[in-house]
Amino acid sequence: MKNTFRIHTKEYLEQPVYSAALAVFRFIFGIMLCGGVVRFWLRGWIDELYIQPKYFFHYYGFEWVPHPGNYTYLLFFVCGVSAFFFALGLLYRLSAVILFLTFTWIELLDKTNYLNHYYFVSLVLFLMIWLPANANLSLDGLLKPTLLKRQIPRWTTGSIRLMLGIVYCYAGLAKLNSDWLLEAMPLRLWLPAKNDMPLIGFLFNKVWVAYGFSWFGAIYDLTVPFFLLYRKTRPYAFIAVVVFHVATSMLFPIGMFPYIMILSAIIFFDSADIETIVRKCKNYFTNLPVAMGHDMFTFAPLRRSAVVVLFAVFFVIQLVFPWRYLLMPGELFWTEEGYRFSWRVMLMEKTGYAQYVVKDGATGRKIAVNNNDFLTRNQEKMMATQPDFLLQYAHILKEHYSKTGMTDPQVYATVYVGLNGRRSRLFADTSVNLAAEKDAFSHNGWILEYKDKIYGL
Amino acid sequence: MKKWILITMLPAILMVAAVGCKKENDNSNDNNNSSFDRGAMLANYADNYVIPAYADMTGKLSTLKTKTDAFIAAPDESKLAETRAAWKAAYLTWQETDLLEFGPEASISLRNYINTYPVTVSKVNGNIAAGSYDLEQFGNKDAQGFPALDYLLTGIATSDAAIVSFYTTDAQAANRKLYLQAIVNKMVAKVGAVQTAWTTYRSTFVANTATDAGSSLSLMTNAFVLYYERYLRSGKIGLPAGAMTGVAAGELTEAYYTPTLSKELAQAALNSVGKFYNGFGYSNNLDGIGFHDYMKAIGTKDDNGKLMADVINTELDEAKNSLGGLTATIRDGVTTQRTEVLNIYQQLQEVVPLFKVDMVSAFGISITYTDNDGD
Repeated sequence: MKNTFRIHTKEYLEQPVYSAALAVFRFIFGIMLCGGVVRFWLRGWIDELYIQPKYFFHYYGFEWVPHPGNYTYLLFFVCGVSAFFFALGLLYRLSAVILFLTFTWIELLDKTNYLNHYYFVSLVLFLMIWLPANANLSLDGLLKPTLLKRQIPRWTTGSIRLMLGIVYCYAGLAKLNSDWLLEAMPLRLWLPAKNDMPLIGFLFNKVWVAYGFSWFGAIYDLTVPFFLLYRKTRPYAFIAVVVFHVATSMLFPIGMFPYIMILSAIIFFDSADIETIVRKCKNYFTNLPVAMGHDMFTFAPLRRSAVVVLFAVFFVIQLVFPWRYLLMPGELFWTEEGYRFSWRVMLMEKTGYAQYVVKDGATGRKIAVNNNDFLTRNQEKMMATQPDFLLQYAHILKEHYSKTGMTDPQVYATVYVGLNGRRSRLFADTSVNLAAEKDAFSHNGWILEYKDKIYGL
Repeated sequence: MKKWILITMLPAILMVAAVGCKKENDNSNDNNNSSFDRGAMLANYADNYVIPAYADMTGKLSTLKTKTDAFIAAPDESKLAETRAAWKAAYLTWQETDLLEFGPEASISLRNYINTYPVTVSKVNGNIAAGSYDLEQFGNKDAQGFPALDYLLTGIATSDAAIVSFYTTDAQAANRKLYLQAIVNKMVAKVGAVQTAWTTYRSTFVANTATDAGSSLSLMTNAFVLYYERYLRSGKIGLPAGAMTGVAAGELTEAYYTPTLSKELAQAALNSVGKFYNGFGYSNNLDGIGFHDYMKAIGTKDDNGKLMADVINTELDEAKNSLGGLTATIRDGVTTQRTEVLNIYQQLQEVVPLFKVDMVSAFGISITYTDNDGD
């Protein structure tokens, strides 16, 4: 019984699908990323986010990541060019590796700029490195036609689908909490801010609309990957994808994310349909390097085993890692210990305010810190609600005041945080010298307990 | 198979939804739609507060100018007293306009020219001795405005007779008179420029009903909260008291040379914060649509079910009461009645998170200017 299941699974995963699907996905994804880099550059964000700040907040375990300073422009340039090569399928494996490394490097520079969709992009790029995405519609194939293969094993596109499915499902699961479902928070705060939109704006004043959006959002996230998989529901599901993401892009400043999600959903289309379209294009653009025969891409046995093990480990981590918050005491939304990298998107309204005081350990003299002297406004905003930022900032202050001649600077913070419309309250123990606390992958004892309870996942 | 799971899940989901909605109805807040109208709120602030406030300020400064000119023409003790009275009246009115540093006021950074304290006496005297100066220069911001007038009209000598002599017999009398006049003229010009700018800015301000970083609501709220925290709480009480450093610094008090006035100024400032928060009319105190109404419409509550909109008023009242209870001047109180002054600071401080966190998040104001997926 078990064995037949294994054989069936294996056969299913190895079934041929048309490589055009993965190639089109590669092209779209690469172009989007290339466009994203250009957009970032033109808006002056490289300077604003990576050159201007005096300090950067690093991720736990990634303190060693070097900051290229003014060469950050070069880093973005290489990232953009590799995305372009990636899109065209030129020197595919090399450009995929470089794109993954440069993109991830940029994300690791400052966690102030953490966005779930950047993390998503890094993960997809990691998968793409190992997939034969240049087996069709690629310049590599134009240069070396034997590379072109019309078919690839199902698990290749399947792994991208699975990744997207995890993103949606986990985002949906994260919405199954009392604030989201029973209080319509935070949409109840966010929607009225958009009530000046033409035609539909007045609706955002209504509480029931916030409830409707919350519930629709949760059900959408939890179900849409399944409806996309099922042939009969797929067209409707894709319409829902477009409507949902266009609506979020109109309501919230979330940049390219909605469009990346809409176009990524193309991977759920039947590969035969995509192939048909590609072949029609070939009629108009005869030079298009389209795989014609009936060849199937096959991995060398050793490489196949390696990739299978790698992907298995990858997806186990993906499935387990978002649950790490269960190991930490305290309310997740309050402590945010285990909040990132878990597909918790647009889930809470959290605002904070932090006043630091540095005390000379020898003289007892105290200095009130003006955060703007050290941090950008964006960094300050992030710092004021998240414990790992609060701690790292305390260490930045300690180092700074040590250099200016203070003996054993002690750093104390008065932090108030408001969560999902509840009254703000003291976040951290004001009597703890934060400069003496260590950042660790465990609970921070100096965070004050959250009195209210948010039920659910 | 998957479809069936979903179909069976749906009724369960709908049931929970119904429960959720029912719970909502129990404590339903009658969302008065007009309170949600940011355009109406902005219009109320522009027409009933900002514009009348600048008109009043202009009037007070014009009186100050008349009195100053008369004093300069023939300095004597009674004209000195009249000038001082005009200065005091204008200074109290300034406390009601100081919180408006958004739009035209922000673009010319009015506050810096009008009320940078403590005054740097050496700069004032240096300018007088030199006989030429550019008050527009940022380096001269602590040598002009109300604090410089405080020094020139009150702080320069201990008796009125002695003060007058600085404008009559003193070697620098002529230059000093010109400097006094230049300062007042500068204030008249600066406030006048803002008043004029508002006649055109008004429509821009009211039309921008968005909530993004450059929107009217965001600019106004940011200016208001910044004012409360930095210029009222810290400037008027925190810094002189050394609330954060533990060392009193009475020399940092507003109206340092007229210590009896410092508390009155702080009270006027705190009153205007309450008035502005509630959307009251500047001259008639009529209740218009303001931050309070907007917060009430959003309907956030504290743990006891009290509207956060009202919690803010309660806390502001407590701060007003504790400030009103101070018997000493702020300048002396920071050392002689230190506990009371620190308590006032604490009361003022308790409103800061309410404005900076609770109000700002209820308004859905974004202070970011880059992408943010909210987490």
